[in-house]
Amino acid sequence: MTMVRKGILAFAVSAALGLSPVLRADVLIGVAGPHTGPNAAFGEQYWRGASQAAADINATGGINGEPVKLIKGDDACEPKQAVAVANRLVDQDKVAAVIGHFCSSSTIPASEVYDEGGIIAITPGSTNPQVTERGLTGMFRMCGRDDQQGQVAADFIVDTLKGKRVAVIHDKDTYGQGIADSARAQLAKRGVSAVLYEGLTRGEKDFNALVTKLRGANVDVVYFGGLHTEAGPLLRQMREQGLTASFVSGDGIVTDELVTTAGGPQYVKGAFMTFGADPRKIPEGQALVEKLRAAGYEPEGYTLYAYASLQALAAAFNATGGTDAEKASEWLKSHPVTTVMGTKEWDDKGDLKVSDYVIYEWDDQGKYHQK
Amino acid sequence: MAEPSLDIRQPLLDSLLAGLIALVVFGPIVGVVLDGYSFHLESSRVAWIVGAVMLGRFLLSLFLHSAGGRGWLQRLEGGGAGVQVLPPEHRSHLRWLLPLVLLAAVVFPFFAGKYLLTVVILGLIYVLLGLGLNIVVGLAGLLDLGYVAFYAIGAYGLALGYEYLGLGFWSVLPLAALMAALAGALLGFPVLRMHGDYLAIVTLGFGEIIRLVLNNWLSFTGGPNGMSVPAPTFLGLEFGRRARDGGVPFHEFFGIAYNPNLKFLFIYVVLLLTVLLVLYVKGRLVRMPIGRAWEALREDEIACRAMGLNHVLVKLSAFMLGASTAGLAGVFFASYQGFVNPTSFTFFESALILAIVVLGGMGSTLGVVLAAFMLTVAPELLRSFADYRVLLFGMLMVLMMIWRPRGLIRISRRGFARRPGVAP
Amino acid sequence: MDGIFLQQMVNGLTLGSVYGLIAIGYTMVYGIIGMINFAHGEVYMISAYLSAIGLALLASFGLESFPLLIFGTLLFTVCVTGLYGWVIERIAYRPLRNSTRLAPLISAIGISLILQNYVQISQGARQQGIPTLLDGAFRLPIGEGFLQISYTKVFILVAAFAGMAALTWVIRCTRLGRMCRATQQDRKMAQILGIDTDRVISWVFVIGAAMAALAGLLITLNYGTFDFYAGFVIGIKAFTAAVLGGIGSLPGAMLGGLILGVAEAQFSGIVNTDYKDVFSFSLLVLILIFRPQGLLGRPQVAKV
Repeated sequence: MTMVRKGILAFAVSAALGLSPVLRADVLIGVAGPHTGPNAAFGEQYWRGASQAAADINATGGINGEPVKLIKGDDACEPKQAVAVANRLVDQDKVAAVIGHFCSSSTIPASEVYDEGGIIAITPGSTNPQVTERGLTGMFRMCGRDDQQGQVAADFIVDTLKGKRVAVIHDKDTYGQGIADSARAQLAKRGVSAVLYEGLTRGEKDFNALVTKLRGANVDVVYFGGLHTEAGPLLRQMREQGLTASFVSGDGIVTDELVTTAGGPQYVKGAFMTFGADPRKIPEGQALVEKLRAAGYEPEGYTLYAYASLQALAAAFNATGGTDAEKASEWLKSHPVTTVMGTKEWDDKGDLKVSDYVIYEWDDQGKYHQK
Repeated sequence: MAEPSLDIRQPLLDSLLAGLIALVVFGPIVGVVLDGYSFHLESSRVAWIVGAVMLGRFLLSLFLHSAGGRGWLQRLEGGGAGVQVLPPEHRSHLRWLLPLVLLAAVVFPFFAGKYLLTVVILGLIYVLLGLGLNIVVGLAGLLDLGYVAFYAIGAYGLALGYEYLGLGFWSVLPLAALMAALAGALLGFPVLRMHGDYLAIVTLGFGEIIRLVLNNWLSFTGGPNGMSVPAPTFLGLEFGRRARDGGVPFHEFFGIAYNPNLKFLFIYVVLLLTVLLVLYVKGRLVRMPIGRAWEALREDEIACRAMGLNHVLVKLSAFMLGASTAGLAGVFFASYQGFVNPTSFTFFESALILAIVVLGGMGSTLGVVLAAFMLTVAPELLRSFADYRVLLFGMLMVLMMIWRPRGLIRISRRGFARRPGVAP
Repeated sequence: MDGIFLQQMVNGLTLGSVYGLIAIGYTMVYGIIGMINFAHGEVYMISAYLSAIGLALLASFGLESFPLLIFGTLLFTVCVTGLYGWVIERIAYRPLRNSTRLAPLISAIGISLILQNYVQISQGARQQGIPTLLDGAFRLPIGEGFLQISYTKVFILVAAFAGMAALTWVIRCTRLGRMCRATQQDRKMAQILGIDTDRVISWVFVIGAAMAALAGLLITLNYGTFDFYAGFVIGIKAFTAAVLGGIGSLPGAMLGGLILGVAEAQFSGIVNTDYKDVFSFSLLVLILIFRPQGLLGRPQVAKV
């Protein structure tokens, strides 16, 4: 009992002083993302992936012989909190690198802090072009960019679906509007102008009015830039009102929860989306996927991206023999890294050299398959 | 420990009842976890919670039945209302504290790291916001739930002013205060006829409209992508490692080593000076006729108008002064963050600022300063509790309200003594 | 075009009736103790979870028939949500009964943070949902287009109006209703006449929560999905509806909800979805400028 109380006391004191008991030898890596708030599901994917990677790296000798220790940084997808947590990670926790953030609107301001602090950051999921377009040397991405994603979708709409009357809908957020805009631009380039371009409000569930409007405009393809939280109800309400247009979206709907939010697999059937070639199908990652599944966790969405991000950081630190950000960034930009998602290479901006967006289709069982 | 006559039965019964209620309330949500279309049971968690509630209720009941508890309860209920009037010659025991706090504020940045510095800057920004809203809500008694709109006007004023007009931090600072004041007047006119909670919802609507327009007007404000904000400059010198427009950065000009904290240090200094200035101005205003008129309006509008006070002028001045303070805070916030986007200006932010005013004690300046730091620093301290952070923050708010429903600091005012030689 | 217009009317009415049901909670609490219960949106969110849990539990007991399933879930949700309303009032508002007007407001904001985070911790952050229970729709050809109304929507309209009718009966004709009205008119006088006003206030919270529970079940049936954040947006809309109709007035809440729902649907149909919230808030401001007490509210007469 006294032991427990002492522990609690020590914990409370250290919490109050903002100090965490840190062993000097550890290599500290921050995992920043929405661990609370409406997008907490993605934060959990980050954390799961990164902690598994840390465990595996530590089992094989750690980084430069020292164990990796992860520190959770919660930004709840709010820019204000993102800056605060970034400062905390840099200044208080003295991390050597950061994996994060998730929402592009958080990654952008936070990356300025990391740049000032001379720290390397790699985001598993922020796809907004601006993340790497601002000339920061230490900002990397493990995923593709929105402009690439929208282009792939637009080409698919024109070439395969032969869409004539296309509506482009977005959720008025950085990510959703980003991919919607790039899709619209590419559609225009291919000679198809969007008959409807509108935004819906995140957090709402009733899009009946919008669906009726789509029906009135007689569309045959709906492109949606946004997350599954809105895509599900939108799909369901389209089908309920008897609108049979094809539905195309981006990687924001890549989760089994889409089926839950749409009210059953009968509604998601035939929906298309763009996503990086399924990381769970890449041969390099099979052993890991099996291991996670055996532990009762399905490595969805960005789990493996987060895992690979830590692998890339570890590789760079090991190769340069320290945790110096400038050396590590230079190394990453000139050397390929083998990860659970295959071999990855980065260009000068910190983007992946090869983007691997492909089209997926949902079936009537509530699963998605590469087309 | 307990008195011999203490009745143990009542606490036991209370605890049983509480346990039963806890079982029904927490049972389904905590015990049955949805998982896709199926669910799994977590009965041990329910048992823990119900046990904790029963134990807590038992101890509370026991305490409240004891003599000490009864006395405590009486003190809690007899809070006393209204303004406390102190004798004219009253001097606070805590007078020595003020210079000490000032000294600490001056010395502090030399010892603080960047993280601490940023937390304190955020705290000071909220002090400004709290002081501004305190004029509207605390003094004039106009419940404003869309206060964040003026904050957004200040922040976007800097971003847009730089983008389209090339204005910098120093020129926007007064302009933002002016613009926000104008917006305050604009909002003030239509709501003059309303009072109480109708006013609340209209201001809430106003705040939402501003945010939605910022979010939707893509070509002008960048929409959800936000806009970047220039770093503040000192006599035209920049604080970055490299100057942006080919100028000489601050550290090179003065020949000192580069320090990434420099930008925040600068913001801290200017912000501190602004807060002190606002504190001073507010302290004076409250003692002036206009301040008295605000408070009179809060207490009884009809009586005020019957006495010949111009309620339009009084209300509008409160709105405008409050708004301009928020505009100032917005400029600081934008340059502190280096980036603005609409997610920083949601309704929750308005609620937080209102919480600062109410927690601090409506109308009390010192209370607002204390509460602003509590509410901004508390979530940062609670970071160690990770997932439970927001839960604890909410509990803190409720408990604080129950413990001190009139705020941390009660308003007190020194009475006036008749000066010798002046006719009564 | 006609078909589209009618369809938008139906969309607006279903949405509006749900706003109205939640608005009742705001309006009743405001009418009786003059406080904006900001946690009410969160109470609705809790009820959405409870209805999904109730459905899952009943289904696991082998209950198959739709009416029984719905009725059982409704009973379960209404009872437990009502208890939530009671507990919240008892813990967070009653100790503040005689303090300043704003103290309960802040404690309500605290409660809504607690409820959100509590549900997130215990149920996880993921989107939750229920399978579609009532498939199919009426389809009426109109001109060139058609009007399609799903069975669920018909059910919502019927259930919402039945709920309203039941509530009106309770307030008009029962002893509890009389006590509520007396307490609303003059709390001190009611107390002198022997009405236990504390109990009446508790009941008002329970009734408000129960109406939110009905709304929670209906919305869950219609949209099939919800998360722990769902209470916020709909809470603000319902509050707007309550004020629009005249806060404190029951028919006003329902009318305000319907007007708001129809206005949103028609505006996004004819003009633009992006600015529909701007439109509904502007509508509110306009109406309040010309009728500061709301559509059906009584003007306040203050004595000095």
